[in-house]
Amino acid sequence: MIDWSAFLIVALVSWIAALCIVTAYSFGVRLLAVARDEDSNTSVSKFGAYLCFGVCGVIVLFGVVLIVPQLSRAILGA
Amino acid sequence: MDLTLIVVLVIALALFFDFTNGFHDTANAMATPIATGAITPKKAVALAAILNLVGAFLSTEVAKTISGGIINEDPTTGVQIMPEMIFAGLMGAVVWNVFTWLLGLPSSSSHALFGGLVGAAIVGAGFGAIDYGVLLSKVLLPALCAPLIAGISAYLCTKLAYSITKRQNGASPKRGGFRYGQIFSSSLVALAHGTNDAQKTMGVITLTLVASGLQTAGTGPHLWVVATCAIAIALGTYTGGWRIIRTMGSGLTDVKPAQGFAAEVSTASAILTSSHLGFALSTTQVASGSVIGSGLGRKGAEVRWGTAGRIALGWLFTLPAAAIIGGLAAWLTHTGAVGVGIVAVVGVGMLLLFWYLSRKNHVGHEDTLSDIDNSGAAVNILSKKERRARAKAEAKASRKAAQEAMDKEPDNS
Repeated sequence: MIDWSAFLIVALVSWIAALCIVTAYSFGVRLLAVARDEDSNTSVSKFGAYLCFGVCGVIVLFGVVLIVPQLSRAILGA
Repeated sequence: MDLTLIVVLVIALALFFDFTNGFHDTANAMATPIATGAITPKKAVALAAILNLVGAFLSTEVAKTISGGIINEDPTTGVQIMPEMIFAGLMGAVVWNVFTWLLGLPSSSSHALFGGLVGAAIVGAGFGAIDYGVLLSKVLLPALCAPLIAGISAYLCTKLAYSITKRQNGASPKRGGFRYGQIFSSSLVALAHGTNDAQKTMGVITLTLVASGLQTAGTGPHLWVVATCAIAIALGTYTGGWRIIRTMGSGLTDVKPAQGFAAEVSTASAILTSSHLGFALSTTQVASGSVIGSGLGRKGAEVRWGTAGRIALGWLFTLPAAAIIGGLAAWLTHTGAVGVGIVAVVGVGMLLLFWYLSRKNHVGHEDTLSDIDNSGAAVNILSKKERRARAKAEAKASRKAAQEAMDKEPDNS
């Protein structure tokens, strides 16, 4: 009667999601720090950083879609 | 049967519960960004309030049962939920919520609501009214799992964030960038809170209206119910439970931007996954677990287990305490209109007492500000030049002090 698999799924999915966001954002922060070094290729690092932040933004937008029922029905169909 | 007065009382109390729910749970979303200085306290509560308001309007999937199945609400075999019972249960929830706010404890508002209703149902219809299996699987086990899942997540995320941003060549890691991320992650938590918690009050009011024959069963909540609930929770959030924000933001562990970001992301992802893939976890418990986990994950951060223990104790007591208050209130309401009046007067009296006690030891947004200055100073790592200048100044000062001490000595002899 206690649905242990649901607990496991929730735990795993939330760990993976959180780790993905934090990894992407951390690389973004690191690349920004690298971009400020004197002897580095600034524009490449900056581009990489903004790409990382972009990935985070997409994940957060997906979160908003999940929160708002109208959006999740329209986009995910469920 | 004329139910008008009791219905009005229930609606008023439900809206007040929504208000306490708001100010109790501001901390879940906004405590860590305030603590790291990602956002000023006033702006943080305003942002959370707006997102709560928006969230409340966005989702109107009102719970079909008040208690989520804990109380057997089946129309043929179960307890008939009367407005008096809801009134008693709400009173238990509100009194407990305000009491834990006075102590600065983050406790689950939903558990308080369940507890109050469970107590009222037991007094009203005996112990058989409760489905204990649902109570175990929907309240007790998630209460254990929520902080664990979120805590482990925050621990791993904090470790990861620090190891990724660590610079091998000794350059400054510039982790301040995590502050901007915190604004987004905490906004997500606030929005999720608005869509979830305002629904509970809408459900309670709608079911009361249905139970008293003022609304046809099976119809959605009226617009005025949605609007008043949204406004009540937003106002509560804007008022800001500064006591709880202080506990969550600096009482458990000192939060740094990268760590706060990891905690917020863990909170948001745990809440979103749980509400979409299985069972609802308490926002409060998830957020507290995240803060503790992130404190364990950062080197040099210390977790104050005394405070954590106090919070855990608060969780343990939330359901039974709200149940006892709800039960007592239900017992009084059974005596009729006089009993309802006594409950209302005593309840309001207790709330005024708690409020009076809180004035003696006032905690406002300015109290959370000092922590920002501290963390701001800690984050602002001095450059080599500044450090050298500071060391020089200190050495000079100490030399001067020593010189003065030496000069003074002859006078003593």
